[in-house]
Amino acid sequence: MTYPALEVHQLSKRFGGLLAMDAVTFSIPVGSLTALIGPNGAGKTTLFNAVTNLFPPSSGAVRFMGQDMAGLTGARIAELGLVRTFQTARVFPGMTALENVMAGAHRHVRASTALQMLWSPGARREERVMADKAEALLDLIGLRAFRDIAATELPMGAQKNLEVVRALMARPRMLLLDEPAAGLNDSETAELAALLMAIRDSGITIMVVEHNMSLVMGIADQVIVLDAGRVVASGTPAEIQRDPRVIEAYVGQEV
Amino acid sequence: MPDLNGIIQIVIGGLLQGGVFAAVALGFSLVYRVTGVINLAQGAFCVLGAMAMYYFQTIFHWPLPLAVLGAIVSATLFSLLIGASTFVPAVSKLPVSSVLVLTAGLLTFFEGVALVVWGNQPYALPPFSGEAPVSIGSVRVPTQGLWLAAGTLVMIVALWWLLNRTKIGNALRACAENPLAARLMGIDVPRMMLLSFGLAAAIGTLSGILVAPITSLQFDSGRFFTTSGFIAVAIGGLGSFAGSIVGGFLLGVSEQFAAFYVSSLFANTLALLLLLVMLIWRPQGIFSSGPQRRSDVRDDMRIHRPLIRLTTSKAIGFGLAFVVLLAVLPLVQLPSGVLSSLAIAMILFIAVLGLDVLMGYAGQVSLGQAGFMAVGGYAAAILATTYDWSPLAGVLAGIVISVVCALALSLVTGRLRGHYLALATLTFGLLVDSLTVGLVDLTGGPSGLVGIPSFAIGSFEFDTPARMYWLALALSVVLVVILQGGMRSDFGRTLKAVRTDQLAAAALGINVGRVKVVALCISAALASISGSLYAFQFHFLSPEMVATPRSFEMIAMLVLGGEGTLVGGLFGSLVLTLLPTLVQSLALYKTAAEGALLVITFLFLPEGLFGRLAMWIAQIGAPPTPVPPASTPKLADKAS
Repeated sequence: MTYPALEVHQLSKRFGGLLAMDAVTFSIPVGSLTALIGPNGAGKTTLFNAVTNLFPPSSGAVRFMGQDMAGLTGARIAELGLVRTFQTARVFPGMTALENVMAGAHRHVRASTALQMLWSPGARREERVMADKAEALLDLIGLRAFRDIAATELPMGAQKNLEVVRALMARPRMLLLDEPAAGLNDSETAELAALLMAIRDSGITIMVVEHNMSLVMGIADQVIVLDAGRVVASGTPAEIQRDPRVIEAYVGQEV
Repeated sequence: MPDLNGIIQIVIGGLLQGGVFAAVALGFSLVYRVTGVINLAQGAFCVLGAMAMYYFQTIFHWPLPLAVLGAIVSATLFSLLIGASTFVPAVSKLPVSSVLVLTAGLLTFFEGVALVVWGNQPYALPPFSGEAPVSIGSVRVPTQGLWLAAGTLVMIVALWWLLNRTKIGNALRACAENPLAARLMGIDVPRMMLLSFGLAAAIGTLSGILVAPITSLQFDSGRFFTTSGFIAVAIGGLGSFAGSIVGGFLLGVSEQFAAFYVSSLFANTLALLLLLVMLIWRPQGIFSSGPQRRSDVRDDMRIHRPLIRLTTSKAIGFGLAFVVLLAVLPLVQLPSGVLSSLAIAMILFIAVLGLDVLMGYAGQVSLGQAGFMAVGGYAAAILATTYDWSPLAGVLAGIVISVVCALALSLVTGRLRGHYLALATLTFGLLVDSLTVGLVDLTGGPSGLVGIPSFAIGSFEFDTPARMYWLALALSVVLVVILQGGMRSDFGRTLKAVRTDQLAAAALGINVGRVKVVALCISAALASISGSLYAFQFHFLSPEMVATPRSFEMIAMLVLGGEGTLVGGLFGSLVLTLLPTLVQSLALYKTAAEGALLVITFLFLPEGLFGRLAMWIAQIGAPPTPVPPASTPKLADKAS
């Protein structure tokens, strides 16, 4: 049988006395682009952290492509093909833009450390192939000319894009993107939307936390609305826009 | 089995000793709470205080109260001056791990100063009130012990009062809990850091003055106080004042019992084992000090390091020229001793190379690199002398044992982060120190192991300094090429990712724990090779040749040469080994210079000597680097 890409069942997270996430349940079909929206403090990042076991959930279950994620480490989850980005751009300092992207390919490197150290032809060839691929990805976000510049010297928007393509370099089956548009201006946001749709069209399932309504409504197949740790609504963008509970959660805000 | 009196005597001795440990531990906690850094120079304040006291009391013949006051004021002022110009600026601009290493440099610097002023003989100051001990019942206590107990008590009460009952105390605690919020509330955080540094210095100074008549001190006793105080604070709970005091007394008493029942040679060993158990069982100590400072997450931009990239042709060209230059050096008529020093510098470089993989690339501070040198050195030396193994087999066996030790250590450190990791490696180094001293039958004890043969491969003996130099040079070149192969590939990227952002690294599927273990094993193996060759070079090995000061020295070499550059360590090792040989009159100042160079390099030349050189070379004839765009470049046109 075919599984949904991500299945979250009755997921809760308690920080001391605070219930940050309360019995959240949803499922994401393979190949879709799902947006997770909600006011500040609704528990969106908490959900991401619980799904990737950064802060393991207090109760409930997460299944990725049918596999139970309980107890798996962050690195193991990434190896299974579920790759996330962070709310603040976290490019690696001390590495060039190109090296940053190549770091994403770690889980596909086949040459052993020993072969890399011995400059084996196979390892060098693999390295060149990865470099070419990383360069193509840099080209996609318009950073090819800056491949040898320290990633931390790039403007914030470029760093966030860099983080997205670094995650792509890992050839994920599903991407979790935490506010990729935060801090971007309007034209940068439009370009990000194009990038996300291209990624989705290439077959990678995407779940994106986003505040920017115009971005979300324009590209998402499915929208999940979180408020005070609970799912208050889910559906297509059109359905969500009409939902009174959503309007209530965003009091005073045009949805 | 001693009677009750004997036991009471041991306990009292332990409490007296523990009082000093507790005072040093308090100093650690105070500075840690405010700055988030363990100030390894803490123990040196004791020696500075005792040294100042010696001058005021014995040389200038000041009356006792004035001498005490004068010693506290002058030693504290000197420490404050150094702290204000190095420690405080470093806290605000360097990552925490670098500041920790910088304080190791300060410790070395203070030691060097004491060596210049005091020479290397031990000093005992006259007790405050005569030599005759007082008897309480049938238990005898030296009067100085009463002074020490009273002084410790006064310090604890005064510190408690200051922190809990004064405005300054409030400000200090605010900085400890949330430096940013404290700053927003108008508290001058750097001044508070300096204040905590000064208070810690005053505490250390006073306890040094009080303890000097009981324990004879010498220039490097600061190291002893730093390590003991650190064990105390790690047992009690880093940053907890109650924990520091309890830990201090616990350590003092247990060391006295260990010295009595086992052997004074092993007193330290047991304390260190206690600490290792503590680190595994309860890393936060008996009293944890509230929420932990997160020292493992990315340190904002402070972790930023300039990129140094040489084009392949330049790297090969300059590299070959440099290797040829080094290779023909022994053919030139060199002043006597220089060739041996070159061989030693080259041998030490191999260990520094390992340290660079661990510290420079993977960002894991190790204060115990000499411990692995000792393991490799003693393994090879003992196998070659006592068991008639061939030197080469001895070296290989040393590597195996070192890697096994590294794996065992990583069982401990795997659960530890930030400071605790550095401290666990320090503990390992100290443990090896105490074992090399204590296992007399195996290692020859403090007087060392003699009659080590020359290194040989088959029947070819490396029995001249030139041959050892070429051997070490050839080995270094091979190792640098191998490591560079790894560093420019996925292996290097994972190390750097782990150094700068462990969370983001894990999110990409990088097994952070495994990467750290591999780095530690590589570093241990290289240190082991270096230690073995070191023993073969000298035909002799004693504990102090591969003791903890050597770890600090190698860190200085690495930082001076340039972290994360592989080749940089050679520059540091050449400078610090050759300078004292070339200019004999400077030998006395070597320790002070080592410490000062480490501190100055961190503050003003973070890329190191080699890093700076490489940046110049990179600029020769290079096209201008593209300037990063002010905003995100346009995404390339694509069909969507």
